Amino acid sequence: MLRFLGNRLLQSAVVLLGVSAIVFFCLFLAGDPAALMMSPDASRAEIDAFRKAMGFDDPVLIQYLRYLGKALTGDFGLSLRFQRPVLELVLERLPATALLAVAALAWSTTLGFVFGVLAAIKPGGLVDFMVRTVALAGQAVPVFWLGLVLILFFAMKWRLLPTGGYGEARHLILPALTLGAYYTSAVTRLVRASLIDVMGEDYIRTARAKGLSPGRVIIGHALRNALIPVLTVQAMYFAALLGGALVTEIIFAWPGIGRLAVQAIQNRDFPLVQAVVLLASTVFVLANLMVDIAYVLLNPRIRL
Amino acid sequence: MTPELRRSFAGIDGWVGAILLIAVLLLAVLGPQLWALDPIKGVLTATFKPPGTIVSGQWHPLGTDQLGRDLLVRIMAGTQLSLGIVVIAGLISALIGTGLGLLAGYAGGWTDIVIMRLVDIQLSIPFILLVLLVIAVLGPSIANVVIVLGVTGWAIFARVARARTLEVRELDYVEAARALGASRLRIVLRYILPNIITPQIVLLTLDLPRLIVLEASIGFLGLGVQPPVPTLGNLIGEGRSYLLVADWLVIYPGLVIAALVIGFNFLGDGLIRLTQVRVD
Repeated sequence: MLRFLGNRLLQSAVVLLGVSAIVFFCLFLAGDPAALMMSPDASRAEIDAFRKAMGFDDPVLIQYLRYLGKALTGDFGLSLRFQRPVLELVLERLPATALLAVAALAWSTTLGFVFGVLAAIKPGGLVDFMVRTVALAGQAVPVFWLGLVLILFFAMKWRLLPTGGYGEARHLILPALTLGAYYTSAVTRLVRASLIDVMGEDYIRTARAKGLSPGRVIIGHALRNALIPVLTVQAMYFAALLGGALVTEIIFAWPGIGRLAVQAIQNRDFPLVQAVVLLASTVFVLANLMVDIAYVLLNPRIRL
Repeated sequence: MTPELRRSFAGIDGWVGAILLIAVLLLAVLGPQLWALDPIKGVLTATFKPPGTIVSGQWHPLGTDQLGRDLLVRIMAGTQLSLGIVVIAGLISALIGTGLGLLAGYAGGWTDIVIMRLVDIQLSIPFILLVLLVIAVLGPSIANVVIVLGVTGWAIFARVARARTLEVRELDYVEAARALGASRLRIVLRYILPNIITPQIVLLTLDLPRLIVLEASIGFLGLGVQPPVPTLGNLIGEGRSYLLVADWLVIYPGLVIAALVIGFNFLGDGLIRLTQVRVD
């Protein structure tokens, strides 16, 4: 177990190092990062002064190592627009995004499990068909489109909920619905597929032969073993969740990291963008690491 | 193709997928020829007309936008451009990924380790943020969007290609070719590549929905191809400002995106059953 843990930690560190390099060198794609960061009407002298102040005259490798060293101590530089430490800005917005993500995950995982189980009781039946149709629709429509349609009906036409904002429970409902829809479909399909898979096993036939009701068989015997594949694939959907949060926050004026990132890109505030990409990747890598560990703990067949 | 396999491909979803895709392709390819209105220049006396309105003898089945442009022709042009962008980007991804996967699987050793770490890195960066960052640096032209989407999507192709290469390289006929003195390049291109190409095509079909939604998201955020040139995403992004007065501007382009996503997913599922390949 310790060796596995050590290996996985090392692997995660290498990945994050690579991510930091990509994020750093992206700025050099267009040639001069100083000209990139300054407004288009800045004078030659202003750009030169800025380049000097930022240290863009030094060899690129030195610059990268300097960036990396600072990043490791939590210093991601100053936001060009807000003139404040980037990390501060990101941490300020973190609770809003976390709240949205947790709300979306909570309702969608619950509903996904219920739908998945209902569908798997009788594959090919009417309930199964209906669940699959809903799941398909949930995965097919883009997040931002769903958000706009929900706003159109619930906020504009029926005036039941606000179009956007932050602070009260009613503000959370539409964004969480929007962000969780894709995920609900994903969980539904996974739970259904892995349950149907497990239902073919011998011990399920034994449980049935004992005369247990289908509900007891599924909840008491099958579901536990169907959980493992669901868990592993969930980590992969985390990236989709981040992308979804980006557009969801824009649509609902939700003051989270996604909105911060898009605004930073629109403002050409590159230190801020770099930090957001790097931090989002870190969260993603850590989530994957935890899922891998949970996978080992949950599955006694994997011996280390 | 045995009758049994043919039936399973032509199951209900196979047909739905095929019909959806053909309908959208006709809309994108033939549409602008048959429905020859100008997608860029509008008629300022015909703004925000709801679907089905006739303005001075011109029928607008899907209505008009804030500049009096016909929404149907804008959707046709937008679908054409968006579809073109994602298909070319997908092909670039598949090409890079297959090449690197072959290399990793056949060469092994350090080459393999380095390439697979690159795959991990690629898969750990939230795609959309990386894409937005690069487009912000390079500027939002059509070519840049294609290149960025193409270059950032190769990782899964590499992973699948490598796994298949590892299986195929141990087969007897590859061994035989090696014994006959075939060069490494010849073995890879002539004996291994043909055997891994089918899963890669299936994978491409299943990856297109992701690219379609990604391209649309970039357009929606206003960071992709710039208006007045229409794409499925920037149509919705523009229509968003007029949601209350002209909801059709948002609703119809979204339905086209959904049709494309469902179409490619069904087609991919059908292809998996047909070819019996594994794509994990």
